[in-house]
Amino acid sequence: MLSIAARRRWRRHAAGYAFAGPALVILAAFLLYPIGYSVWLSFHEWEGYTPRWGPFVGLENYRALAGDEVFWRATLNSIVFVVVRTPLEVGLGFLLALLLNRRLVARSLLRTLFFVPVVMSLIVVTIIFQRVFEPNTGLLNTFLRAVGLGAWAHPWLGDPATALPAVIAVSVWKNVGFSLVILLAGLQSLPQDVVEAARVDGANAWQLTLRVITPLMRPILALTALLSIIGGLKVFDLVFIMTRGGPTYSTEVLATLLYREAFELNHMGIASAVAVILVALVLSIARIQTFVLDESREGGKA
Amino acid sequence: MSKAKGRRQTHREDTRGLSRRKLLRLGLLSAAAAPLLLRARRVMAQTGGAQPAPSKASGELKNLAEFKAPKVKASGPTTISFWQYVGFHVDAQKFIAEEYKKRHDPNLSLEITAYPGLNEQRVGVKSALAAQSPTPDIIAVEPGAYAVDVSTSGSVLDFTKVFAEDPDYKRGFWPNALELLTINGTIVSVPAVTNTVIVYYNRGLFQQHGLEVPNTLDDLKKVGATLNAKGIMPIAYPAGQDRNFPIFPYYTYLGGIKADKLMREADLGLKPWTSPELVAGAEFVEMMAKSGLYARGPLGIKEPDAIQIFATGKSAMFWGGQWMRRSIRAALPPNFDLGIFPFPAVVAGGHKPVLSSVGITLTVNARSKYPDLAFEMIKALTGAWGKIEYTRNLGLSPNGPISAEAIAYQMQSLKDPLYPEFLKLQPTGTTRVIFTPAVEEAVTQGMQALITGQKTPKAVMESVEAASQKVGTRKFRAG
Repeated sequence: MLSIAARRRWRRHAAGYAFAGPALVILAAFLLYPIGYSVWLSFHEWEGYTPRWGPFVGLENYRALAGDEVFWRATLNSIVFVVVRTPLEVGLGFLLALLLNRRLVARSLLRTLFFVPVVMSLIVVTIIFQRVFEPNTGLLNTFLRAVGLGAWAHPWLGDPATALPAVIAVSVWKNVGFSLVILLAGLQSLPQDVVEAARVDGANAWQLTLRVITPLMRPILALTALLSIIGGLKVFDLVFIMTRGGPTYSTEVLATLLYREAFELNHMGIASAVAVILVALVLSIARIQTFVLDESREGGKA
Repeated sequence: MSKAKGRRQTHREDTRGLSRRKLLRLGLLSAAAAPLLLRARRVMAQTGGAQPAPSKASGELKNLAEFKAPKVKASGPTTISFWQYVGFHVDAQKFIAEEYKKRHDPNLSLEITAYPGLNEQRVGVKSALAAQSPTPDIIAVEPGAYAVDVSTSGSVLDFTKVFAEDPDYKRGFWPNALELLTINGTIVSVPAVTNTVIVYYNRGLFQQHGLEVPNTLDDLKKVGATLNAKGIMPIAYPAGQDRNFPIFPYYTYLGGIKADKLMREADLGLKPWTSPELVAGAEFVEMMAKSGLYARGPLGIKEPDAIQIFATGKSAMFWGGQWMRRSIRAALPPNFDLGIFPFPAVVAGGHKPVLSSVGITLTVNARSKYPDLAFEMIKALTGAWGKIEYTRNLGLSPNGPISAEAIAYQMQSLKDPLYPEFLKLQPTGTTRVIFTPAVEEAVTQGMQALITGQKTPKAVMESVEAASQKVGTRKFRAG
């Protein structure tokens, strides 16, 4: 028998549980269970064609990854992808947001144009850019030759030195509009009295942007950066369609390595270990980011 | 099933699909193709071969091959499922399945799911097999690692019983095609079609510059030098397409020196990859990459790019597969004079290597609820009558020899003078299949490293050998 207090407490929370229940069940079934399954699988050997897992191998899959040159290459590429992409995406997005926050002719049209790549199918984007980067008849090299810079024409996706930068460029082009929209919304929600006060105090446009708007935008910039980092770490489709991780693993990232191990080499255990590392990486970065954000908020309050 | 249906493709020209413009071009091309038939004899003279030429029968021809009645029929309305990965085969498969239903088994229907590509289908099949699902009943697999995976895991049934009951059916396939699908002594899958890798060339451009079809590697280099001097790229080679394409030159060389058996043994861990012949193959890949014969940056070129380069006359030759014939035709202007030739002999006095392989192959899920019906359907699709219908509109080679009358019947609708030429090449071809996934991966990466000049041939073959040794003793035998 429940005590009266317990019954009251239960009645008070019942509606909450009832509303949250279905979502929790779905979350558990489609997120927590698969994550747990992957972790468990990462300690086993399994080729993936039969329901029977292979033997328990402990940390062997992680040890194998630690000794695998391709894993380190993929990790480095993933980091480079994030480190280069995020500042470009957020920085360009912020610059464009500042520009489009002003009273410009065709401002609405420009906003729409910058957002178009975001809503375009990624498959379409990658196929278009494959043609743009094609070494012989591609748009980029054709343009370079037309303006007398033929010496710069290059097999962009076919050269290990330029393949990753080319893929990053496409990613930035595709996603900058998303950062722009978030940051523009942030700019428009800034307290106008603070901005006006700075103007009255004689701040020029540069000072206003650097000393007033940017600090006020810090939480939104951090959020945009966090989304970009997470998106960059788990990038798969763009790389897979454009280069399949090549040539010679020059664009291999953790997600494409995971796919290769799971479905081309039949190392489901190793693939699961890659997945676990990737999730751990994403969660750690998200945690660090939110921690920094909280700290800065606390600092702001003080 | 609804999810699978959602992934289903409409009829496509190839896995990349057809734009409306291309369809229009194809229509125009079909109309323009009739006069090309007149030139068929001239084309044949260049390639030689053993297949019969189409007979000059007049009037409406028919498929005279026997469409054998099945030994087993469905007892009530039954649908068997078939998961494949080549959208442009769907119509041919559907047509045969419907004829089968009309003529032999009114209760049996075939539900075809065409995934957008091999990777997607393989992931779907792997998940289904791991879940011990009885669906799909029929699975399309690639020869090589995929066939090994499904057979060694006990996920599919072999054809021992089927062939024992119907030896004629087995005799209908090219023996070298079945050899590619023999794992641990049993045939685990049967080919729906076969195909070759050859060199397409712009005959008009060759004539314009007084060039002959090259018979030797030296001839090819001379042709390349002449073309380069005229500002025309010699060969559009889409090495960036997928993992198989960067290996074409390597397979070609080994086929040219008749070392493909040695490669098979190395693939199975029985011989080292560092033997002089296999290293010489890598040297050939490096030499080709440096020879100026390829259009710039082959690893950055995919199939559609290469087709465009070739179709617009920027290159005089195109190194590609038979499966691209229709895509190429669709992209060409109507007056384009298209020819094919096997890759020239790679060593003095050697033979011309033709890379051939089986295309899509069919097998039966070991957990299918209707294995006998699934085998009967496969027999319909790949048997004497089915193979003629299957390849009639696709222009891919059948899985075994067909009669001159059958070719004439196919040509009524196909109207492509190149088709009979491809048929002649198949039985002579060398294979382009690697069975061990880790080895295939190492060879692919190694060939990319040779094309980009990152590694020496010897270093590449050492890394392939290291990958092979890491796999250890194979759990299967192939061929």
